[in-house]
Amino acid sequence: MKNRRICWEMIILSDFKRTLSIENVKQWFFKTWPIFPAMFYLMSFLVIVLFYLIGLSLNHPCSEINFPTFASFTELFKNEYFNSALINTTLFMILGTPLELITGLFLSFLIFRSFFMRGVIRSLFLIPLALPALVTAMLLFVLFDFPGGHINHIITGGYSWFPQVFDQPINWRGSKLFSMAIALFGKVWRDMPISMLILLAGINNIDPELFDAAKTMGASFRKRAVHVIMPLMIPSISVVLLLRSVEMWKEFIFPFVLAGRYHLLGTLIDFYYNEIGNSHMAATVSIIMVICIVFSTLILMKILELIQKLIVSR
Amino acid sequence: MLWFTGIICALVIVIGPVYLLLKYSVSDINSINTGGNPVPMWPYNPTLQAYVYLFSDSHFYQVLLNSVVISLFTIALGMILGIPASYVLGRYKLPGRKVLLLMIISVRLFPDIASVIPVVEFFIKIGMHQTYLGVILAHTLLALPYIIFIGAGAFESIPDDLEGQAIILGANRFQTFFKLLFPLAMPGLAAAAIYTFLLSWDEFIFSYFLMLGKQEIYTLTLYLNGIKYAEPQNLLAAISVCLSIPVIAFSFMVQKYMVAGISAGSVK
Repeated sequence: MKNRRICWEMIILSDFKRTLSIENVKQWFFKTWPIFPAMFYLMSFLVIVLFYLIGLSLNHPCSEINFPTFASFTELFKNEYFNSALINTTLFMILGTPLELITGLFLSFLIFRSFFMRGVIRSLFLIPLALPALVTAMLLFVLFDFPGGHINHIITGGYSWFPQVFDQPINWRGSKLFSMAIALFGKVWRDMPISMLILLAGINNIDPELFDAAKTMGASFRKRAVHVIMPLMIPSISVVLLLRSVEMWKEFIFPFVLAGRYHLLGTLIDFYYNEIGNSHMAATVSIIMVICIVFSTLILMKILELIQKLIVSR
Repeated sequence: MLWFTGIICALVIVIGPVYLLLKYSVSDINSINTGGNPVPMWPYNPTLQAYVYLFSDSHFYQVLLNSVVISLFTIALGMILGIPASYVLGRYKLPGRKVLLLMIISVRLFPDIASVIPVVEFFIKIGMHQTYLGVILAHTLLALPYIIFIGAGAFESIPDDLEGQAIILGANRFQTFFKLLFPLAMPGLAAAAIYTFLLSWDEFIFSYFLMLGKQEIYTLTLYLNGIKYAEPQNLLAAISVCLSIPVIAFSFMVQKYMVAGISAGSVK
């Protein structure tokens, strides 16, 4: 056993030495030099991003406090704007992620089986993705206008085909709840094709024989969907949840256009940087956003792992 | 029946807002400012007055030109840096390839809104804030990892035997690249270029932080955002349509290029 280990170590060591020989390094350099300008470009910006984020966040505009200091962090955690933005973003993520999954599941279940004009319908479902996010946000800005937007006319009984729900038009963008809701609606509407495509790929990977076997044994479409398709789709569902949750944390355009006064972490960075002119606070919020993304992803991965184990054990 | 209802509902949800966008853009101003009456659901007295107004405004041309110039220079810089890198990654099985790929994607792991402050601060320091060059460099930063990944896929899909045959016939590395590999990878590289154009054309976060306060260099996205409270809704919709048309058209073109596999069957 010991001899075998020594033998392996010698092989690895000699391989390593061979790899590191001057001739090999020359060859490697000769082959790879075209990659260096791009690498230099990207690495320079990575260094700039890290250097400035850390430098700015561990500094404080007050000249009496020297680098490194957590003064910006402590000040931020006492700040009501930040606390409100953190809660808003967390809620945005908690509500938006499952909503994106549900809409994606809805669309993918509608078009996963073949039918007349399936390709056309699938292309139509991709339209929201083809529109720039700013255009979608601007469209909602117009539709939810106060008092004369389409939505207000619909809910106040302006059209004969829809019952009157409210007596007065709603100032959607003037209310925290409603402005966040329309920002969330816009985000989910625009991104649902991405969820649909990922889930559709997951459904297409399922062996159709399993589905047919359940059908032969008399399972209804609903039962087949819940007991056959869903468990086999856990990997693609996990991908959707992980990717979409990250997107929710870093969302900027929809809350920026539709909920300007009520901040998420993304729009708070803009607020601190462009309105207050405090780059230290803006960088600190950026760092906190990155930390939130990392932690939320780790927690979500753990939860998904547990759910997968639970389903397999059943 | 349930499935059919679902399809109809989904189509209404997906197409409805797009229809309303088009409807607003061809609406007469009197059918938008209705004095409290409901805005018609169809284009009442359809007119192109919003588009006519837009294309008679010299400032709009300036904004359009800014967007085009920034997008084209971003493509140029992105391709100059990205094609050689994607050639290396696509053609050679290098030791440490995974590390190189991780390094390429690493800067994009930061959310745009988190990495924008350091980039703007750096550009302020070197005097490139509120300049075309600053925005082009920032957009190239965003696009370059995608160019490299799409390009590497294009180079990787070319059969090794073709390159081997060229070398046997006496071609050196540069001849092999320019006369064989580059033309064969063209569809993939064109897709990367179109993707870069789309990214730069509708990019908002970096453009906003880098250009805010200097209207002469505003792109279409910034122009649209800047006038959202001031201009009538039909004009906002018309600008939105102008912003969306290249994106939708080029998205279909990218699909076409992605499908084209010109190297299929080229090895005899």
